[in-house]
Amino acid sequence: MADLSVALRFRRPAFSLAMALTVPAAGITALVGPSGCGKTTLLRLLAGLETPQQGVIRLGERVWFDSARRIDLAPRHRRVGLLFQDYALFPHLSVAGNIGYGLPRGPDRAARIGAWLERLHLRELAGRRPDALSGGQRQRVALARALAADPGVLLLDEPFSAVDAALRQTLRLLLRETVAEVGLPVVLVTHDLEDVRLVADRVGVVVAGRLRRFGETAAVFADPGDAEVARVLGWQNLLPVADWDGVAVGGAWGRLRIAAPFAPRRPEAVAILPDGPRFGEDPAADGPGDQALTVEVVRAVELGGRRALICRLPDRSLLRIHLAPNAPFPTSGTPARLVVPPSAIVLLPTSAYGGANA
Amino acid sequence: MIAAFDCSPAALWLSLQVAGVVLALFLPVGIGLGYLLSRPVPLRGLLDALVSLPLVFPPIAIGFFLLLVFGRHGPLGAPLQQAFGWDLVFSFPALVLAAFIAGLPLVVKPIQAAIEGSARELVEASYTLGKGPLETLVRVVIPVVRGSIVAGLTLGVGRSFGEVGITLMLGGNIIGSTETLSLAIYNQVLDGDFDCAARLSTLLGGLSLGLFLLLRRVGRL
Repeated sequence: MADLSVALRFRRPAFSLAMALTVPAAGITALVGPSGCGKTTLLRLLAGLETPQQGVIRLGERVWFDSARRIDLAPRHRRVGLLFQDYALFPHLSVAGNIGYGLPRGPDRAARIGAWLERLHLRELAGRRPDALSGGQRQRVALARALAADPGVLLLDEPFSAVDAALRQTLRLLLRETVAEVGLPVVLVTHDLEDVRLVADRVGVVVAGRLRRFGETAAVFADPGDAEVARVLGWQNLLPVADWDGVAVGGAWGRLRIAAPFAPRRPEAVAILPDGPRFGEDPAADGPGDQALTVEVVRAVELGGRRALICRLPDRSLLRIHLAPNAPFPTSGTPARLVVPPSAIVLLPTSAYGGANA
Repeated sequence: MIAAFDCSPAALWLSLQVAGVVLALFLPVGIGLGYLLSRPVPLRGLLDALVSLPLVFPPIAIGFFLLLVFGRHGPLGAPLQQAFGWDLVFSFPALVLAAFIAGLPLVVKPIQAAIEGSARELVEASYTLGKGPLETLVRVVIPVVRGSIVAGLTLGVGRSFGEVGITLMLGGNIIGSTETLSLAIYNQVLDGDFDCAARLSTLLGGLSLGLFLLLRRVGRL
């Protein structure tokens, strides 16, 4: 097993990508970002389907691309398993034919196809053509085809986007198990944060062709680093900061004091974590450091074990607050006092283009 | 058919021969060019423009330029004459060249479009699975776009039957030698034999209709 090292620059009209990252040999590394940010382009560059203007791509000691040394291995020489978004199964070949396509001719070819049919529960479908398969079955065939060719790296482009939600969970589990058995660097590109949380060991956040955050999945979700990355990671309740004087932040939505001196960069947004706030009309009952915002409850939604409240701030922006099912809350349409503890307030600085991960 | 054959048997036979030869040429060249033009190869734009030119350029003008190029004193015609003793113009190869140039874009474009559309990702999948361009062409591209290949060949061969402009210039319209079916109709009209022209036109129309029906059938492949 070898790490995949990437440092490259790629330009085309109205788009540029500059990225450096190391994908460890074990576990799944997810890349997440908005549409058009360059996630899929990066996969294509790694597979050799696009050529960067500058940089180095290396799997362990094996150089795939080096602009300075004029090395550019063709896709067929890189040993990359690429799972396309819509699977790209060969329509004229059976399931077994698709899985065996990348295998060399030899006495053990049939046995290897049979092993992958078993492994991904495709034995009964071996003779079927792709157009007679469901979305989940196609995905399993595509995964088997990519892994059967014994790749050095597995690249997955939105692998769960074409299957329904019920099947997605099963396929995520299957992917994790299969990848753990095979043991190779895996890059998963997705815009679905559930994919990242449930499947990935590490996550990189890509915005406008730059890797803006990279690290262990839980750590990155807990500390996105800046407001833009927080938005990509699905952080809610981001309130824009219009006023900032070092001790408090404010905007048309209200004003909040900050508990401790903030980092040198100006805060772009303040996030209200949904699980901390509560309703309380009596300021005397507030804890130390608690602050209040004036809101109006718009809607209450039962989420099974807890209740989500959608609240409207004075500037008409919305907050989502989670309460215990038995916690009191005001009736819809009336102004209420939302108590926000210091632990529920997170200041997010303006984006600083760092670029590469460690 | 028999009545038309009586009218100008050599022309019908010549047109069928030309169609047979261009079909044999279209198979490798049309598929090869369609595949090549679907890939990011150097000078792709120029090659694409050259292949597509007969679609927009007047055939008679193309024929004239080819006559200048392949004529006895032309930049290609003179060396061919000196090296091999080949005199291309006003010969059977000239008819083949005319039909080939006129029909080539009709063969290449559907194949190219099919590869760029439905087959592009399949080609890339084949590359990542360790296959080279030639193996990908044979094992993936041709089976996947076979409908477009047959459609392109049908259009190209159909065009060869109806080709007049380039054929007239390059072939010379020599009765009994380079007079194709289309040119025979033109000559019969000039001679005032409308009956013969009508029979030949019916025959040509029947051939075209047959190819059209084949094309529709291919569309359902």
